Amino acid sequence: MALTITCPICGKRNGYEFKFGGEERGPRPDEKDLTPEAWCDYVHMNNCVAGVQKEWWFHRDGCGSWFTIHRDTTTNFEVEKAEAEK
Amino acid sequence: MFSKQKPLWGKKKKLKSSYDVVLIGGGLHNLATAYYLAKNHGVTDIAIIEKNFIGFGGAGRNTAIVRANQRTQHNVPLYKEALDLWPVLTKELDYNLMFNNCGNLNLMHSEAAMKAARTTISTAQFHGVESHLIDAKEAKELVPALNISDDITFPIHGAMFHPPGGIVRHDAVVWGLAKGAAEKGVEIHQQTEALAVGTKNGKVTSVTTSEGVINTKQVLISAGGYSAGLINGMLGIKLPISVLTIQAMVTQPLKPLLNHVVSSGAYHCYANQTLKGEIATGAHMDPWPNYTNLSTAHFIKHQAEALCEFLPCLKGVRFMRIWGGLADMTPDMAPILEGNNHFDGFFMNCGWGYFGFKSCSSAGKYMAEYMATNHCPDMLKPFALKRYEEHKLMGETAALVSYSPDN
Ligand SMILES: Cc1cc2nc3c(=O)[nH]c(=O)nc-3n(C[C@H](O)[C@H](O)[C@H](O)COP(=O)(O)OP(=O)(O)OC[C@H]3O[C@@H](n4cnc5c(N)ncnc54)[C@H](O)[C@@H]3O)c2cc1C
Ligand SMILES: [Zn+2]
Repeated sequence: MALTITCPICGKRNGYEFKFGGEERGPRPDEKDLTPEAWCDYVHMNNCVAGVQKEWWFHRDGCGSWFTIHRDTTTNFEVEKAEAEK
Repeated sequence: MFSKQKPLWGKKKKLKSSYDVVLIGGGLHNLATAYYLAKNHGVTDIAIIEKNFIGFGGAGRNTAIVRANQRTQHNVPLYKEALDLWPVLTKELDYNLMFNNCGNLNLMHSEAAMKAARTTISTAQFHGVESHLIDAKEAKELVPALNISDDITFPIHGAMFHPPGGIVRHDAVVWGLAKGAAEKGVEIHQQTEALAVGTKNGKVTSVTTSEGVINTKQVLISAGGYSAGLINGMLGIKLPISVLTIQAMVTQPLKPLLNHVVSSGAYHCYANQTLKGEIATGAHMDPWPNYTNLSTAHFIKHQAEALCEFLPCLKGVRFMRIWGGLADMTPDMAPILEGNNHFDGFFMNCGWGYFGFKSCSSAGKYMAEYMATNHCPDMLKPFALKRYEEHKLMGETAALVSYSPDN
């Protein structure tokens, strides 16, 4: 499936120039009182949404920026915002 | 659709308001689980709930390769039993599963890969699985079409040869297991979507479907690539899974030239010749999670380039069909089988990525035991979800994969 990603620096480019960087999981948890469960959740666990999700990308074959976008995982199209954040 | 014959798995029945067991997803794993629940444990009041039709998911889209030469001591016995079960099931189900044990030839393209293969082979041999290392010349004797010259991108150093593996007709497994389960009283409800799992006081109580609510005490979600999304959506249980589309394609039919399954990690390409003569070849997964099931020019080009290097006689041959399906990948390339953990009566069997066909019979057999006895069989103990939290990931790949799927 064709995919284009909009890099904040380079604009809309072919998806194969980028590396997927994972679902957005919020800030890294504080190490103080960190439980194995919370750490595992941050490191491994995904929502696997069939729909719009906020996610990280790295412009690997481009400017090297890391940034987030919203994408519908059932179509691969970028969208403005996740339903929940509207 | 237009045939007057009734399907092998019986006429459409009306969904009842309660079942002892509800299995969500009409793929291989649930069909096998239902079959073994009925056959080995006398549990027959079972509904399989399938949103589309049985075989819609990975069950009907996979490239049908079976083998038992995995890397870790936990995985090999489960896959070995599955491999041993094909001839047994063919008899038991009285249905030809077309098991063609032509053997798998896994090409190695560096000395490091040969060394890694030695470890894998030792594990196989320790568990009584036939597997050996051969050099490039011997590989060429097995598959004369192989290009073992030095002037390709990844010259062939040797191969891991696993004679008992091969190909099984995947649709036949779907139909055969459905027939076997239905004969024992299992109900298969197609075009019925599971919408929610109800719980009360930490126990499973019901499943809401598009055709009504079912009261039940035991639910298993095993819906291939859809499992992780369903489990999170219905019960708020997050899993270490990434869902990726994986593609496969077949060429025009050719005279016999490939009598083994040939695969190459370096080329990210595997191929076998079907009984119809087509070269069926599988690619790697899309490099980003998605549920599209769609195919891309990127992989057609990739497959063509890879095949033309190590099987150069395929130059100029045309691809006839291409398709995609979902692979639900875990970071350690091993599945998650789990029960009575988050809720009493709730079971899951997922994370099978692109290896859920070859394993379906044994996984179904042990999952049935797990559900019938409420005790986790030893065979399944290593596959609990807890392993990620305990940082006991299985070494199914030599290097830990970060799915951000780049490997
Ligand atoms: C291209 C490709 C090649 C592969 N090659 C191999 C191979 O060579 N060897 C191998 O071992 N494995 C292979 N696999 C992997 C294997 O096919 C899967 O791991 C396996 O089929 C998944 O398990 P399943 O059959 O039980 O589920 P699936 O067949 O994926 O079934 C899931 C079912 O759940 C249904 N469903 C979804 N949501 C709902 C809902 N809400 N309610 C009810 N039902 C729902 C879907 O309609 C679907 O029918 C391959 C997969 C693909 C896509
Ligand atoms: Zn950029």
